[in-house]
Amino acid sequence: MAIVESSSLRPAPAQAGSWLNNAKVRAVLYQILTLAIVVGGIWYLVSNTITNMSQRGMSAGFEFLGVSAGFNISFTLIPYREGDSYLRVFQVGLANTLLVAAIGILFATIMGLFMGLARLSNNWVIRNLARWYIEILRNTPLLLQIIAWYFGVFTLLPNPRMSLAWSDLFYLNNRGFYFPGPVPEPGFGLFLIVLAATVAGAIAYGVWARRLRERTGRILPVLWPVLGIVIAAPVLAFLLLGSPLAWNKPVLQGFNFRGGVNVPPAFCALIIALSVYTSCFIAEIVRAGIESVSHGQTEAARALGVKPSRTMASIILPQALRVIIPPLISQYLNLTKNSSLAIAIGFPDLVSVWMNTSLNQSGRAIPIVAMTMGFYCAVSLFVSLVMNQYNRRVLLKER
Amino acid sequence: MNTLSPPQAAHLTDTPDTVKVFVPAAARAAPSSTLGAAAWIRKNMFSSVPSAFLTILGIWVVYTVLNGFIGWAWTNAVWEASSRRDCLDKVGNAGACWPGVVVWIPNLIYGLYPKDEVWRINLAFALLIVWLVPLWLPRVHSKVAIGLSMVLLFPLFASYMFMGGEKGAIWTALIAVGLTGFLWTVLTAVTETLWGVPVLRMVARKFGATTAEAESRIGQVVLLALFGVALFIVFELDFVEVRTRVWGGLFLTMVISGFGIAFSLPAGIVLALGRRSKMPVISLLCTTFIELFRSVPLITILFMFNTMLPLFLPAGVEVNQLLRAIVAVCLFASAYMAEIVRGGLQAIPRGQYEAASAMGLGFWQSTALIIMPQALKIMIPNIVGNFIGLFKDTTLVSIIGLLDLLSMARAVGQDTLWIGLFIEPFFFITVIYFVFCFAMSQYSMNLEKRLNTGHKR
Amino acid sequence: MIRTLLSALAVTAAVAYAAPAQAQATLAQVKARGSLNCQVGPPTPGFYALASDGTWSGMDVDICRALAAAIFNDPRKIQFQSVTSAVRFTSLANGESDVLSRTTTWTAVRDTQLGLEFAGVNFYDGQGFMVPKASGVKSAKELNNATVCVLTGTTTELNIADFYRSNNMTFKPVTAENENVLVGTYLGGGCDAYTNDKSGLAARRSSFAKPDDHIILPETISKEPLGPVVRHGDNNWGDIVRWTLNGMIEAEELGVSSANVDQMLTSTNPGIRRLLGVEGNIGEGMGLTKDFMVRVLKATGNYGEIYERHVGPKTPINIPRDGSLNALWTKGGILYAPPFR
Repeated sequence: MAIVESSSLRPAPAQAGSWLNNAKVRAVLYQILTLAIVVGGIWYLVSNTITNMSQRGMSAGFEFLGVSAGFNISFTLIPYREGDSYLRVFQVGLANTLLVAAIGILFATIMGLFMGLARLSNNWVIRNLARWYIEILRNTPLLLQIIAWYFGVFTLLPNPRMSLAWSDLFYLNNRGFYFPGPVPEPGFGLFLIVLAATVAGAIAYGVWARRLRERTGRILPVLWPVLGIVIAAPVLAFLLLGSPLAWNKPVLQGFNFRGGVNVPPAFCALIIALSVYTSCFIAEIVRAGIESVSHGQTEAARALGVKPSRTMASIILPQALRVIIPPLISQYLNLTKNSSLAIAIGFPDLVSVWMNTSLNQSGRAIPIVAMTMGFYCAVSLFVSLVMNQYNRRVLLKER
Repeated sequence: MNTLSPPQAAHLTDTPDTVKVFVPAAARAAPSSTLGAAAWIRKNMFSSVPSAFLTILGIWVVYTVLNGFIGWAWTNAVWEASSRRDCLDKVGNAGACWPGVVVWIPNLIYGLYPKDEVWRINLAFALLIVWLVPLWLPRVHSKVAIGLSMVLLFPLFASYMFMGGEKGAIWTALIAVGLTGFLWTVLTAVTETLWGVPVLRMVARKFGATTAEAESRIGQVVLLALFGVALFIVFELDFVEVRTRVWGGLFLTMVISGFGIAFSLPAGIVLALGRRSKMPVISLLCTTFIELFRSVPLITILFMFNTMLPLFLPAGVEVNQLLRAIVAVCLFASAYMAEIVRGGLQAIPRGQYEAASAMGLGFWQSTALIIMPQALKIMIPNIVGNFIGLFKDTTLVSIIGLLDLLSMARAVGQDTLWIGLFIEPFFFITVIYFVFCFAMSQYSMNLEKRLNTGHKR
Repeated sequence: MIRTLLSALAVTAAVAYAAPAQAQATLAQVKARGSLNCQVGPPTPGFYALASDGTWSGMDVDICRALAAAIFNDPRKIQFQSVTSAVRFTSLANGESDVLSRTTTWTAVRDTQLGLEFAGVNFYDGQGFMVPKASGVKSAKELNNATVCVLTGTTTELNIADFYRSNNMTFKPVTAENENVLVGTYLGGGCDAYTNDKSGLAARRSSFAKPDDHIILPETISKEPLGPVVRHGDNNWGDIVRWTLNGMIEAEELGVSSANVDQMLTSTNPGIRRLLGVEGNIGEGMGLTKDFMVRVLKATGNYGEIYERHVGPKTPINIPRDGSLNALWTKGGILYAPPFR
């Protein structure tokens, strides 16, 4: 009764005075209000900061980037000497972080794939080993794991004089891993051009082969020809150009090896810890991805007479990848961010060398924090852009 | 096999026209090769040559690791010693030196919290457990209300128990609100278990309320009375002040992650709704916030808040170190939570929104009554996962100098008596972290299985 | 021992917070609060060590205990705060602590530009190197091309870079922000030498399984006078800290200790009579009691007692005092308190 009354007697919306009830007007009001609060808040913080900084004689400028930093860095991908500027320190830290991330991602993916498959194994021992490997490593803090690996690496390796050597070229000891460093000689540029050309050619061939398959159904062999071209042509070019690459061998001198390339233990420990930790998450992603593809797909492929190898490559994997890739990329981002824990074992990554040492030595909190965060934001934004492209491409096309 | 009883069977065979009864031969026993432990082992461990090889390799790896580990942690370990020097004299580095960890356990758990006041922490956590128990009791129906009251009200009450000291009028009232929530939870749990009715309604009915309106009115009075009782109790309480600078150990780890989760859930919901909003300004602001905090490592946020928060605030405002860390952790956690909530909201079919709007529900009503309850259910495993991550990430606050579990473990190695002892305490806290995280992840998986019923298309 | 260079934050904090802090004199605040806020660092044996029962002790902690005794006649009325070296000056400047007593090196920049005031020196230290005996190294000059373990974010990192540059040698640093990690690296053979303040080296060496297998090289590559720090601007508070420290040194010179302080009250030596407040009135001039040094000496003892108790040869830290800079000026050191008159 009441309901009927209210609905039948409800007055027609009043023309005037009801603009507050208009959804659009209200939306605009809400937004103006929110914006005002946020802008006001930011203004408040900024004005406080400016007052505080001027009172304390602090400078938010970037002019300190040209000043000599005066400390040494234990591992640098790009050349650095003490006495170089803070800007150089930033670049060194950035390069180191990117290097750790790239290598860590490579190893984490390989290990994650294996562990994911082991988790699905028919073998009880392997299946449970993989399970406990994942459970233990996933449920303990990464910071503790990094420290543990760091000491693990030490206790297992001998000192420099008792190095594990392999044919005078490779040495492994508790100062790290030494191997010959390449020194380019004239003609090396040409070799690089040939290399790039063959890779580009191989990719073009692959794309053409796929198009041909999609258009006509004819299947051309891809893997072996491509591998052949990519390996054979550069090797040939290298020999023809007279081997334009010298090797700088590590030699034991006094306390340490000199020459060659040295990978310090902190770096090894960081890579192992990051890739092992991340591989646990990747393993679960891989497992979920493969389990997400319905068994009917395999059966259907078999019924159509598709070869088992091709079933995996052309039917199961593409479908599993659609489930696997997005969380996988977010794990890659996590790994990159987690590399900042290098500070605990003194590997000079961006946070350790820039946000800790440089900040302590120069005291320029604001520019240093802004540059560090800017770098991580840029990486993350770039990756999300790429991801969005990918997602658009693989989006399930429902008909 | 033959279901007929003998007399009937006899009767059947008597009649000449009936067909002969088919009596199947007894099934042959399964081949012995598929039975028993041996067969299981063959099938699951040695089904092929590579498989057998992997099995042996796996067993060898487990044996080596366990053998070395047990040797260090048990066989060669020292259990009685007065200092690290003692341990070193006994076994050198071959075995663990546990006494150092044992005498430090109170500090590892409570930090430097005054030992005379530690009972307050214990009591608060005991209350928390009492608050949690009804969530597992099958006969309790008000689980959502109890859960919410716990997340929102427990921090009010607990922070006073932990901090103590002077309490002004507002503070007193807030603590009493927290306590009221606790009393209500306990009473509700009792009445619902015994009589299946929440306490407020039961009291209302005792007073002869018949209509829903009367029930809710009397209910409010009862709640007010509970508040009065709580207020009385709070007035009686007088705790010595304990400054946050002495908080530490597992206790501090729990406080930080607890605040993180309690704050991040509502904040994450707001941010996620904001990001999905059709209003461009709000959506843009929320997206910026979420992406900014998600794209940088937690450690940079902690560093930033530790060094820059004093700059952001007017001169003279003191923000202690713990608060700085908690603010950083809360903002970080809510950005992650927002993405989880958004994922949950996206999983709700459009039809639900349309149906809610066809029923005449507005945005807030449909969100609160239709969408969120369904979305939250989907999100629970992810929320627990987020909490596990947060719990592990609290180790980073040691880098900015808070006395969390990791810092206390490091302090063991700096004790003059136990100087240099740090693998053992590290191992000990690793076990603590593992136990907590593993329990949570198992709970979450369990929950996932239970919630995975129905609603699946 | 972590000694960060100037954090400009601190500069600042000092100036910004000077006003509210000065509104009420530190001594009055401390008395009103009923306890002294003493800032130490992450536990470091000998200077601010944390025992398993949660109590702090050490050379630097005893400065705070002495202050609490002077003010309240109770060395336990202290609230300790442990912060990382990066924020120690900020924390002092914005009033979270009343005195910073944690092996902080007295430098010109810190004293003049960070809004801080150094109240004296309670330990003369210097950076040195420790190497395994088996390496055969006898001098730091032999460490060319060596790998050296160094704590990051501290002046040690800059000192060692300077040392190598001025001697035209090269080195490879292995850094970590945590001392446990770094010492583990050194013991595991991850570096040829470990550098830190010599007091820290001695403390560390005592924790090794075989301390005699390691030697501390004779060179000292830096000057590290360590002492308590207060906020700039409250001169009275600075005086209290300075003269409590000086009083402990003076007491040792005059032979007054915790054991004989009561007998010494009747001493005829005018120096002792002035120190203990029997004659003159130095204490009340600072807002304390006449006999504040009696309270201090009863609570913590004189400088020599503190030294022997926390870092002396009878402790695991084992830093010999005779002949070192930290001996009294009368015994070949440079420890010298201005006269109490």
